[in-house]
Amino acid sequence: MTPISISTAYLGNSMLPVVAQADQQLTTLETESTTGQYANLGLQLGEQSGYEMSLRNADDVLESFSGANAVVNGQLSASADALSSITTSAQSALSALTTWTPGGPADSELATTGDSSLQGLITAANSTYAGSYLFSGVNTSEAPMAAYSSTSSSYSSLVSAFQTQFGCSPTSAAAGSISASDVTSFLSGAFDDQFVGGNWTSNWSSASSTDTTAEISPGQTVTTSTNTNTAGFQDLAQGYAMVSLLSDSSLSSSAKQAVVTAAMSSITAGSSAITATAANLGQVQSTLKQTDDDITTQMTLLKTQLGGLDNVSETQVATQLNTLTTVIETAYQVTAQLQKLSLAQYLPA
Amino acid sequence: MSLSSTFAIINSAFTSTAAQSSVIASNISNVSTPGYVREVANQVATSYGGSEVVSISRQANAALLDQLNTSTSESAAQTAISTGLSTLAATVDDSASSTSASGALQNGTSPSAMLGNLQSALTTFQATPSSAAAAQGVLTAAQNLTSALNTGANTVSSVREQADQSIATSVDSINKLLGQFQQANDSVVSGLASGGDVASAETSRDSILTQLSQQLGISTTTNSNGSMSVYTDSGVTLFQDTPQTVSFTPTATYTATSVGSAVTVNGIPITGASAPMAVQSGALAGYSQLRDVIAPQYQTQLDQIAGGLVSAFAESDQSATPTQPTLPGLFTASGLTSVPADTAVDGLAASIEVNPNVDPTQGGSLSLLRDGGISSPGNSAYTYNTTGAASYTGRLQQMSAALTATDSFAAKSSQGVATGLETSNSLTGYATDSVSWLQGQNQTASNAANYQSSVVSQASAALSNATGVNLDTEMTNMLNIENSYSSAAKLLTTVNTMFSALLNAA
Repeated sequence: MTPISISTAYLGNSMLPVVAQADQQLTTLETESTTGQYANLGLQLGEQSGYEMSLRNADDVLESFSGANAVVNGQLSASADALSSITTSAQSALSALTTWTPGGPADSELATTGDSSLQGLITAANSTYAGSYLFSGVNTSEAPMAAYSSTSSSYSSLVSAFQTQFGCSPTSAAAGSISASDVTSFLSGAFDDQFVGGNWTSNWSSASSTDTTAEISPGQTVTTSTNTNTAGFQDLAQGYAMVSLLSDSSLSSSAKQAVVTAAMSSITAGSSAITATAANLGQVQSTLKQTDDDITTQMTLLKTQLGGLDNVSETQVATQLNTLTTVIETAYQVTAQLQKLSLAQYLPA
Repeated sequence: MSLSSTFAIINSAFTSTAAQSSVIASNISNVSTPGYVREVANQVATSYGGSEVVSISRQANAALLDQLNTSTSESAAQTAISTGLSTLAATVDDSASSTSASGALQNGTSPSAMLGNLQSALTTFQATPSSAAAAQGVLTAAQNLTSALNTGANTVSSVREQADQSIATSVDSINKLLGQFQQANDSVVSGLASGGDVASAETSRDSILTQLSQQLGISTTTNSNGSMSVYTDSGVTLFQDTPQTVSFTPTATYTATSVGSAVTVNGIPITGASAPMAVQSGALAGYSQLRDVIAPQYQTQLDQIAGGLVSAFAESDQSATPTQPTLPGLFTASGLTSVPADTAVDGLAASIEVNPNVDPTQGGSLSLLRDGGISSPGNSAYTYNTTGAASYTGRLQQMSAALTATDSFAAKSSQGVATGLETSNSLTGYATDSVSWLQGQNQTASNAANYQSSVVSQASAALSNATGVNLDTEMTNMLNIENSYSSAAKLLTTVNTMFSALLNAA
């Protein structure tokens, strides 16, 4: 049997790779203990890197959904506020109509109420949120409702409709002879035509009939607004305009009574349509809230999974650091001892 | 026997002691020379009773040397591959990335992370379609994505260029080593023929072989005259009495369709897919694997992602009766006039760019992102938002959906390079698969390189122990020689005294 020989070169250098490797691991561990994550994640995860990346992307997308939903929620709240102010003012207009008795100053007060209610409706319909009009449908850069004044096309169209029907203006003396039933049929005929279809969109509303939609979570799209081309706005505008235009006119008391009756039914219908719309948007808002909660839960879950992939165990890092320090110290000691173990040290000079 | 013959014997003792000390001195002075093989003086008794060092032999171990050379070749190949892969992997490394508190974009560098950012930016833009800031966010995310793809493709090219240069360097070094090998081999052959000392020539021949095995895998045979023949591990002759010429024509610039030239020995290719006897290991094999297989495969994956992007964001004719062709929209490349088929996208990752028509700094308009018509501004056929409404989100929803919709990808490039990825996948899924593939390769190569390098150090420890110098052994031998020298000197004095006594007695 040949004796086992160890070459001096190997003996002297045997600890070098140990120390070099330990030093390298030490650098890695130091980074890991500072960041709490693997120093070289790609190398650590290998084929799982893509999975980690997809979790990270999913988390990122959910984060932006969460941010986007905050904007949508703001829009919905602003819409709800505006719609609620519209129904409130409809209620007070209705009570003014209910308490009205024909003749005298009450007629002009009612006309004023009608006009201010109409102006209030237009203002509320032109509410904005973050620079965008709420009730314009997708055409959010344009105010949905045109101003109503004695010079606006909406006003002149109404007057000319009256003119065409009765051959006189509402304020001319000839208007006093128009019967209540004629007024009623005018209001439900030519006057009503002014508030639907092409007349409505050319004189009153420039909104798009397409409502805005938003994707509130991956694959879930909801309608997030209403527009002024809906019956609620049309009926309210019609009701207010009747009162504003005709209650302080030269019509007979019975004709005015017919106007008020028609206005009340129009405003009631409009008000309940707006209430129904508000309820729909409220439903969307609660769906949104639910979705946001889901997103938060999913993000927590994703972050936990990501943490499981990315994060190092601090205890493990600390233990490894200790072990490595010991290894390096031992290697140094062994090297020093090995250097002493040479015959040359013991031979007389 | 006579006293004078004793002188002759003592003299031979001095001679052989000197020869032995010179061997010990040589051993001691080479104690830390890598690859040095301990020499042993072979001493025999002479016919007249003296001693003589007849030869110096080496305490060589061919099996262990072979093992070291083989593992060196394997390790060199894996190190070459691992270095290249870690350069490629750096382009998809997201360990530095984090999501900021504001939920802003993540910092990763991979196309996959940038796709994620684009997806987020589109989501934000959908919630506020009239916001110029949100549109700018989408534009920035799109630009980051194209620049990630460009960077990836450029890195692939530069990895291939570097591998090509390394192959050239390796070929130079192989030719030089083979020249040196001839000198050492000639010394051994002529030394053996003339009965001279060939130990140091053999040691230098072995050390050249170890250096050669760094460059390519080799095997050797020794002929009856002591001449050694060297073959590649695939059996192509590299040296037989004279060195064979190893040649290689470097390629300076690599594009997606470049094919590097093969290394040849006397005209026979030893690298590349077409080589009948391709080298299996050594730096040469590693670099050629990197240049011809791994990097092109990643290039093909990047090109597929780029092609997928162009087609996902392409714009079609929106007219009631479409007559116009589908054109590249948000993502295009200079000179690209139609949406390329997924099998015809070679090099697209290097040239993909965000359409200048949406970039305000290049005279474009951000609103085209929302309204469509990026491919051909002003052409109503490609306008999606026909009413010009500020909150139109139809096109944005389409783009967002296109990122996650299942798409089909080509299995191979037109060059025949397989992607190695699932061909039916969403764009985002494909991009993450590509990251997985690259990091998986990186991890495997890194582990293999670490493993091979530990095999090398074990093999070299075994060889060093079997053939290296132990100082203590040499010291002990030296003490022996010292003792025999002083005894011989003592003997000489004694015999001299005897002679003197004899002469004085006369």
